[in-house]
Amino acid sequence: MLELHGIRKTFNAGTVNEVRALQGINLNIEKGSFVVVLGTNGSGKSTLLNAVAGSFFVDEGTISLSGQNITNWKEHQRAKLIGRVFQSPFSGTAPHMSIAENFALAARRGKHRGLSWALSPKLMHNLRDRVATLRMGLENRLDNAMGSLSGGQRQALTLLMATWLEPQLLLLDEHTAALDPKSADQVIRLTEEVVSRDRLTTLMVTHSMQQAVNLGDRLIMMHRGQILHDLRGADKARLRVEDLLSRFEEIRRREQLDESAALMLSERYV
Amino acid sequence: MTLLIGALTVGLILSLLALGVYITFRIFNFPDITTEGSITLGASIAAVMLVNFHTSPTVATIAGMLGGMVAGAVTGVLHTKFRINGLLAGILVMTALYSVNLRIMGRSNVPLMDVKTLFSHNWFGTDTINVFGWDASAHDVTALLFSLGMALAVAGVLYLFFRTNLGTVMRATGDNDQMVKAQGSDVEWNTILGVSLANGLIALSGALLAQYQGFSDAQMGLGMVVWGLASVIIGEALTGSRSLGLALLGTVMGSILFRELVAIALRWGLNPNDLKLMTAIFVLSALVLPQIVRSLSRKGGRHA
Repeated sequence: MLELHGIRKTFNAGTVNEVRALQGINLNIEKGSFVVVLGTNGSGKSTLLNAVAGSFFVDEGTISLSGQNITNWKEHQRAKLIGRVFQSPFSGTAPHMSIAENFALAARRGKHRGLSWALSPKLMHNLRDRVATLRMGLENRLDNAMGSLSGGQRQALTLLMATWLEPQLLLLDEHTAALDPKSADQVIRLTEEVVSRDRLTTLMVTHSMQQAVNLGDRLIMMHRGQILHDLRGADKARLRVEDLLSRFEEIRRREQLDESAALMLSERYV
Repeated sequence: MTLLIGALTVGLILSLLALGVYITFRIFNFPDITTEGSITLGASIAAVMLVNFHTSPTVATIAGMLGGMVAGAVTGVLHTKFRINGLLAGILVMTALYSVNLRIMGRSNVPLMDVKTLFSHNWFGTDTINVFGWDASAHDVTALLFSLGMALAVAGVLYLFFRTNLGTVMRATGDNDQMVKAQGSDVEWNTILGVSLANGLIALSGALLAQYQGFSDAQMGLGMVVWGLASVIIGEALTGSRSLGLALLGTVMGSILFRELVAIALRWGLNPNDLKLMTAIFVLSALVLPQIVRSLSRKGGRHA
């Protein structure tokens, strides 16, 4: 379904700010699986997601989705196949346009946009029904500007927009990180609902261990631009937050060891 | 009366310019200076086609508009494909257009003597007609009604266009381009199309203005961006900018009102040489005053 092969990406190459964000990622995601990517800050997990979405081109490697090589597709071309929810509630919606108009845009994701009426009666009819499933009372406020809604409401609507036309792949980039706990819970519940109902192939980035444990059928742990652990099936199902903590602790110790060893060597020999 | 009708007519003609400025500045958030060149481009193309090639006024006007669309597209391409800052892209095209316009006209001024223009008509069959008890030239009233029709038609078409799928995605492009990319639409292409459309309207305004005032001049674009911006700001003050339809209508009204204000100021003895300074000060204060008022009221609130 989604195949990443030998993906490398370096930002600011050749300068003091050089960041080797992705260092040879190989990943194969089957159709219908829900993959959670977990990692610390700077582990490259969001970079991985953006590489798939096409926010930038990778330096090396190939990306293919549904049998098509999309490595050289631009971001808007990839959006034909990919639905996306961003970390910031402000990124996924047009604030000065109405809820209905935002959905009119989502209803033609990756399709030709001609001179037909954006807010067609058919769209409005479907819209009311599907927004009602959010149980936020927004179905009566479809003419309100998107910018007048709370972050949680906007993220819920963005998720609905991203899945309005069933995407081949759903990308969720820490989509609850900017929300208060209650809204985050609501959006997570909605995510589970939508993904399981439509059996969407999903790649979700998070730094919440609780989410990583509860959600999805496969867990990928990233560190320093590489995939460290890849747990699936029974291993994933058995996983608890404590296990994740101990794995992170293990990484931390190993690095400390590396650093103290380096310090010792430099003190002795340099 | 003649003065009033004349000012109204020019206000309506320039409302097309204001609508173009509204599209770039407000919808696309793109400070497009191409305007100053493209209004003259529309005027020169129309004038030369009428005088040198004796085409019908309709053909000349459409040709002027197309010229503006090309100019706008060039600015759009410079900005999106070559990643040149929007202001600079506009300045480059505007500067280039100055020479282009002189080349098209062959000199700095083309008078439209003895040629049939869109404003040569008289719909009433008499020389003067009675408007609210005043005698007015029927020819002038025809010109006024014609420009009113044009302004309303263009505003109406724009309103309908911006509610289609294509128009909606163009509005979203100015609102949140990241979202537009995620919805699979090409931001660069939308921007080029929008800037081209806006400059088409601006050139159309120029083509009509040349025919109305009877000449095209290489200098006529000077200060037109600020002029258009003033109309947009007045329009927003009149109607608020909440809905698209009101904003478009407000822009047309703003253009008329601003032209009236200018006519009155000139009548009261404002030196025409000071006009551009006054316009600039007006726009500046319209931009700055709301901020000052806001900060004052915030301070007042704290004391209370």
